[in-house]
Amino acid sequence: MRQQRSTSTPLKAVGRATHRIDALERVTGKATYTNDFKLPGMLYARILRSPHPHAKINRIDVSKAMALPGVKTILTHENCKVVFGAGGISGGQQYNDDIKKITKHRRYVFNNPVRFVGDPIAAVAASTRHIAEEAVRLIQVEYDVLPFVLEPEDALKPGAVQIWPEGNLSLDAQNRTQPMTTRRGSVEDGFKSSDLVFEDRYTTAFVHNAQMEPRSCLAAWEGDKLTVYTPTQGISNCRSDMARDLEMPPEKVQVICQYMGGGFGNKNQNQDADLITAMLAKQAGTPVKLEFTRKDDFVGVHGRWPTVQYYKVGVSRDGELKAIQLRGYSGMGPYRKNTGSIGGIDIYQCPNIERVVYPVYTNKTVSGNFRGPEFPQGFYGIESMMDDVAYKLKMDPVDFILKNMTRKSNDQVPYTNYSLEECIRRGAEVFEWKKRWRPQPGSDPGPVKRGAGVSFMAFRSALGRSNAVVRLDAKGQYTVFVGVTDVGAGAKTTMALIAAEALDVPISKIQVVWGDTDRCPYSVGESGSRTTIQTGQAVKEAGEALKHQIAEKGLPTGQNVLVGSASPNPVLEGKVRAAFAAHFVEVEVDTELGHVRVLKYVTVHDSGRIMNPLTARSQIKGGAIMGIGMALHEDLVYDRRSGQPLTAGFYGARLMTHRDAPEIEVIFIESDDGYGPYGAKSIGESSKVPAVAAVANAVFNALGRRMKDLPITRDKILGAFA
Amino acid sequence: MKTFSNSNARDFKQAAALVQQTQQQGRSAAFVGGGSDLLALVKERVIAPDVLVNLKTIKDLDQVRSVNGGVNIGGLITLDNLSRHDVSRRQYAVLAEAAETVATAQIRNVGTLAGNVCQRPWCWYFRNGFPCYKNGGSTCFSFAGENQFHAIFGGGPSYIVHPSDTAVALLALNATFRITGPAAERMLSAADFFALPQQNPARENVLAVDEALTEVILPALRAGTRSTYHKIMDREAWTHAVVSSAIVLEMENQVCRNVRIVLGGVAPIPWRVPEVERLLAGQRITEALAAKAAETAVEGAKPLAKNGYKVALTKGVVRRTLLELASRA
Repeated sequence: MRQQRSTSTPLKAVGRATHRIDALERVTGKATYTNDFKLPGMLYARILRSPHPHAKINRIDVSKAMALPGVKTILTHENCKVVFGAGGISGGQQYNDDIKKITKHRRYVFNNPVRFVGDPIAAVAASTRHIAEEAVRLIQVEYDVLPFVLEPEDALKPGAVQIWPEGNLSLDAQNRTQPMTTRRGSVEDGFKSSDLVFEDRYTTAFVHNAQMEPRSCLAAWEGDKLTVYTPTQGISNCRSDMARDLEMPPEKVQVICQYMGGGFGNKNQNQDADLITAMLAKQAGTPVKLEFTRKDDFVGVHGRWPTVQYYKVGVSRDGELKAIQLRGYSGMGPYRKNTGSIGGIDIYQCPNIERVVYPVYTNKTVSGNFRGPEFPQGFYGIESMMDDVAYKLKMDPVDFILKNMTRKSNDQVPYTNYSLEECIRRGAEVFEWKKRWRPQPGSDPGPVKRGAGVSFMAFRSALGRSNAVVRLDAKGQYTVFVGVTDVGAGAKTTMALIAAEALDVPISKIQVVWGDTDRCPYSVGESGSRTTIQTGQAVKEAGEALKHQIAEKGLPTGQNVLVGSASPNPVLEGKVRAAFAAHFVEVEVDTELGHVRVLKYVTVHDSGRIMNPLTARSQIKGGAIMGIGMALHEDLVYDRRSGQPLTAGFYGARLMTHRDAPEIEVIFIESDDGYGPYGAKSIGESSKVPAVAAVANAVFNALGRRMKDLPITRDKILGAFA
Repeated sequence: MKTFSNSNARDFKQAAALVQQTQQQGRSAAFVGGGSDLLALVKERVIAPDVLVNLKTIKDLDQVRSVNGGVNIGGLITLDNLSRHDVSRRQYAVLAEAAETVATAQIRNVGTLAGNVCQRPWCWYFRNGFPCYKNGGSTCFSFAGENQFHAIFGGGPSYIVHPSDTAVALLALNATFRITGPAAERMLSAADFFALPQQNPARENVLAVDEALTEVILPALRAGTRSTYHKIMDREAWTHAVVSSAIVLEMENQVCRNVRIVLGGVAPIPWRVPEVERLLAGQRITEALAAKAAETAVEGAKPLAKNGYKVALTKGVVRRTLLELASRA
């Protein structure tokens, strides 16, 4: 058994607030983002996207576009039958070769029929970007415009337009039309044994990842070798996806991502943009660069799936949970790019649980991965529901949480360490919960009312396979080779810190080589908040291996080098690893103007040992701010009659600006459970998970009216007081 | 490929003549000042001019000159300069404040006063290229569609709201606009400049295509006049007014001698509320009177399916702004 320590002992490099090792390159413009690369003879590409939410293409005439001087190549569904594997995974499972053999639904790079506004119809490569844009406009398409459906509940009604022949409930990996269901105990028995049973409905909106850098891609072929420059959150996965979809051996694909402008899950794996660019470059016989506009990025990739959540909760009179039932609907767009699950009910201790979630096809833009894919929306639903139950039981929500929160994972498996209670108690104390929370919601006199809300979370912090190589040359330069990219969390700096710690050398001696599949070993990629805990562990072990060699062989001389490597695949012994957090928010709601202002925001996170407090704090702040945006601002509004998105882009979607962001107080409870590098657990996604619910609960406490549909915009607040 | 040529103007008459000639040749032309709105419309292919007539090369049209106790402001003054200018800050606070709320610092650095007053609507149907009145069609898609940000006054057949913050302030200041065309100049009061959709659903003002707004003339304000602009935004930067109010209030011995109140974000033009002005004239502005003024301000409002909240919001904005302004020392 490993030793669990409740507090971590100080280390030399790890745990010191350290500026990013590439900060200077980034702020001086020297950093080479994908769009900064240019190759000789490079063409520019643009995409023609469907103007209709659902239409059969009868004819595509590219003759006028091809006749435009400078146009080299055009791809459409007629001359390109490549499947975009990662774009339509079945049952939420990875589109590997086994799944590919079984599943019925295919998402091609170019589909016919087209199924959402933004579905690619054609791609053009031309000598300049302006010619490519013009050529796109010269492509003539004849459509049979089909009826469409936008909302998941509507899509399951009898007589709804069928987006796929098997219906609008997304098939699972075995091609069955059934919802995702999990059960424990019996909710029927649970409700029978309850003193009180509450039911409610909550909805959440589609929100886009809205990372700074839109997709772009540069592809070049040398013989049968493909090199792809692309902002991906996983060079290794991107490579295997490209190889699978283009039916090539993975070693013939090189993926390069040196710098990227954020992703938040928008850039996992490969994207149709990468396939399109690679195919255009092959057909044109010269390198091609594809650049997305902001609108391309908003409608053409994916965002968080919108949900409808029906809850039924049974409790005893003294506030003990007896049963939780969730029936949920997730709008996946017409291709299922992720599970569509709705997370959250598992963080309550309850003997009887039933979750039935329907991932539903609609003719809206595609849903996929976005920072804690199924959690911020699910946590908003369940933690609003529970906050309401506590209110109806006349209980302080903090007491209700302490009574009912998870103590073991799914009430069964112990956690590697458990600090949730400490997160909540510490947060309540620092926030001054008793002072800020209104026992009678909405009781402030006058139109400007204050209130406080709380939410909490446990977030998977899994271990897994990873690789790293560390090299020492005779000049004393250490080089770390890792297959990571830096999605914004500061992974390169974290890897350098871990290496410095393992090797017991200053960070200035460490150089990191990253983001190139030809130079770096496999990494899982920047998804699932696992770069630090997985690749970081490999760096630690590779560093230790190198140190061991130095001890044995002495320092290298002349042209010699010493190399340490590690490919750890640690497992948990019958335990679950989780990061924990509690968020406390105070808001002021002006009920006359419908305006919500966040006054105070306190977060307490246990993410294990903190590798770099500087970037870790930014991660928590960023997630909390995103949560506020999801709670109060963001939406992709559709015109119901035409199925057109109206608010694609930073202006329309009302993303938070710096001036909207309040001060976020970050407190870390540092633990070392003996796993991960020096006890590090995940951070990145977790900070958004409870934020939305905490804000919404604070709004309830201020108003005394429950806002059950996101975002909580001015019209809804004023409507509640009309 | 659609291209356009750029032509640098020496003076406004020449610029207007160039536009006129281009039109006569059957091609389209557009004036460009800061270009922050125009280039976005060109890039989105909402408009496709053949010739851009660049006004930034005209000298001295960004000046603020004191004239007869009032002030003349060149139409090419940037919003940033306008918001920081001593004269506007001291005497015409409502205008400086309105300019300060526009968009972002980057846009205020290039965007001009005239461009802000003349910018096209930000209705999401118009900007997304729907064939609406503003795009040369004969439908307003907002009427039976997504109209949460649309007009509650003066709508029909188009229900856009006028997007300009400074226009609201200028009407409240009773400004006069100098309009320059190829042959002559004309002077129009701000009230006559803006046009309701029932006059012309394709445009928001009475400018001919070969006319430009070149100067704004603000009258002298009497002693005891104070003014302010209150803009309700869905975030703290880079957004148009959900509702706004510009109030110019002349006080004497704690009594309202005269007041002009103009609302933004509620109508296809800056929306003056003369009944409220009459109600307040000669009165001490109390809580009760401000509440009555707010009720009066929304009399006759015709909200659409999804913008009813704007009625309550307008009331709140009028009441609060009036009380705040009246209580200033």
